[in-house]
Amino acid sequence: MDDYVIRIENLVKFFDGRCVLDGINLNVPRGCIYGLLGRNGIGKTTIIRILLGLDFPTRGQTFLLGNNSQNLASKVRGRIGCVSEGHNLIQSYKVSRLIKLCKDLSLHWNDEFFGRLIETFRLPLDRKVMELSMGMRAQLNLALAMAIEPELLILDDPTLGLDTVARRQFLELAIELIQEQERTILFSSHILSDVERVADRIGILAAGKLVVDCTQEELKNRVKKLRVIFPEAAPANLYITEIINQQISGREMVLTVANWNAEKKAILETFKPSSCDEIPMTLEDIFIECTKPNQEMKQAGMQET
Amino acid sequence: MLTLIKREIYDHIAYFIGALVFSLMTLAILVFAAYSIDSQEANAICIIVAIPIITVFVFGAAGMGVSQMYFDRNKKISAFLSTLPVTRNKILIARISAGILAISIFFLPLIITTWILHPLLALPVPILDNVFYDIYIVGLLMVVACYCIGLQTGWTTSRILPSLGGFLLTCILVTIIIVKGLSIQISLLLIIFIIASIIRVRQKFMSTSF
Repeated sequence: MDDYVIRIENLVKFFDGRCVLDGINLNVPRGCIYGLLGRNGIGKTTIIRILLGLDFPTRGQTFLLGNNSQNLASKVRGRIGCVSEGHNLIQSYKVSRLIKLCKDLSLHWNDEFFGRLIETFRLPLDRKVMELSMGMRAQLNLALAMAIEPELLILDDPTLGLDTVARRQFLELAIELIQEQERTILFSSHILSDVERVADRIGILAAGKLVVDCTQEELKNRVKKLRVIFPEAAPANLYITEIINQQISGREMVLTVANWNAEKKAILETFKPSSCDEIPMTLEDIFIECTKPNQEMKQAGMQET
Repeated sequence: MLTLIKREIYDHIAYFIGALVFSLMTLAILVFAAYSIDSQEANAICIIVAIPIITVFVFGAAGMGVSQMYFDRNKKISAFLSTLPVTRNKILIARISAGILAISIFFLPLIITTWILHPLLALPVPILDNVFYDIYIVGLLMVVACYCIGLQTGWTTSRILPSLGGFLLTCILVTIIIVKGLSIQISLLLIIFIIASIIRVRQKFMSTSF
């Protein structure tokens, strides 16, 4: 059995001559909740669409559950649940009819679990999908994806349009699902606090490349933000590698560095700073630093080998 | 597969009802012709009434093809279905099967009734004995060909192109039949056209991003 549920090899995608994805390599192991982050229009949805076989890569290959995603057989598709951005359900159908269609087409359907979800979300079965609010559509989409008890759940910005309570319910459900053995979730979101709460591995897309691919814990340990005060004006160049961001204001320098270690600390100390304090960083802070345009982040240093 | 075909029928139920209504109307004309005392008058009525019915049905079939593809593309139905245990191939096969079924609803009762009433419908000239079957074969192929035109032109996000393109191609096809008449050559031409159209529809459907 393949160790990786999702495999992306040198994925390149051009849209109208513009390179959106530039050689993405990504492996998601079984049982992992992978949080894929990136700014709007950076290519998160494109990756997911290519993975699901809804779009085609310009170059490279993608694999789901060990099968090339461009030729996924029905049996393989039956093991994958999907909640797409914008919740593209069949709008003209009544909720009950859509549920019946999904149930009839599915290879496996957990009626009890699905009933529980519908009850939790209080979804009206007699209304048309187009009459539902965005939040209700998201809940319906999620319930449909979860009812098949998927081995792999792909969620493309699933909490978009959900209120705080529904978002919390969704996250709890995702955790419940992952706690069942060998389930994997690929989760793309703009709401970083959600990703921070559930994901155990993080990928950050910037400028068409996967600039971060490691565990959340590792990411927080490796990226440090420091406030350094020098006795005189702060030097323009510290000769430290892998500086993500650097701001100088008189004697003060605020520095974000990847892979902070004793060697880099020693280099900094040669400038004899008056003080050097670490500024605590949330995932959101790291994300903002990593996706700032023209930053000099060294990609290799941020990806786990 | 059956679920997908059922979905197609339900979504385009108007076309199936239309096919049934047209079939019943044509059957009524056929029965009237079979039991009419004045065969010449009956044949004239048959021709006057049958031609508009078949013409409307031909354009209806093209309309069904356009409707199936256009609404799929614009309402992202296949995009949703592709997230379920369904392949693109299955979606297309189910769609075409539903279309063929609608066409069969029109033609099958006609063929069966003609076969039953054959002795009563016999024309005075022996060479024209099988003229009804010739009409049905060419008519069926023409309707399927027009349906395929509909499928091809409907797979676009533009509103004008499917309407105009489909209408024009259907007109050309109908004109060819009127000019060339019922012959084996025209049947072969229609078969080749249908095969080529289905290959093109499949190629477009399989290679488009949903």
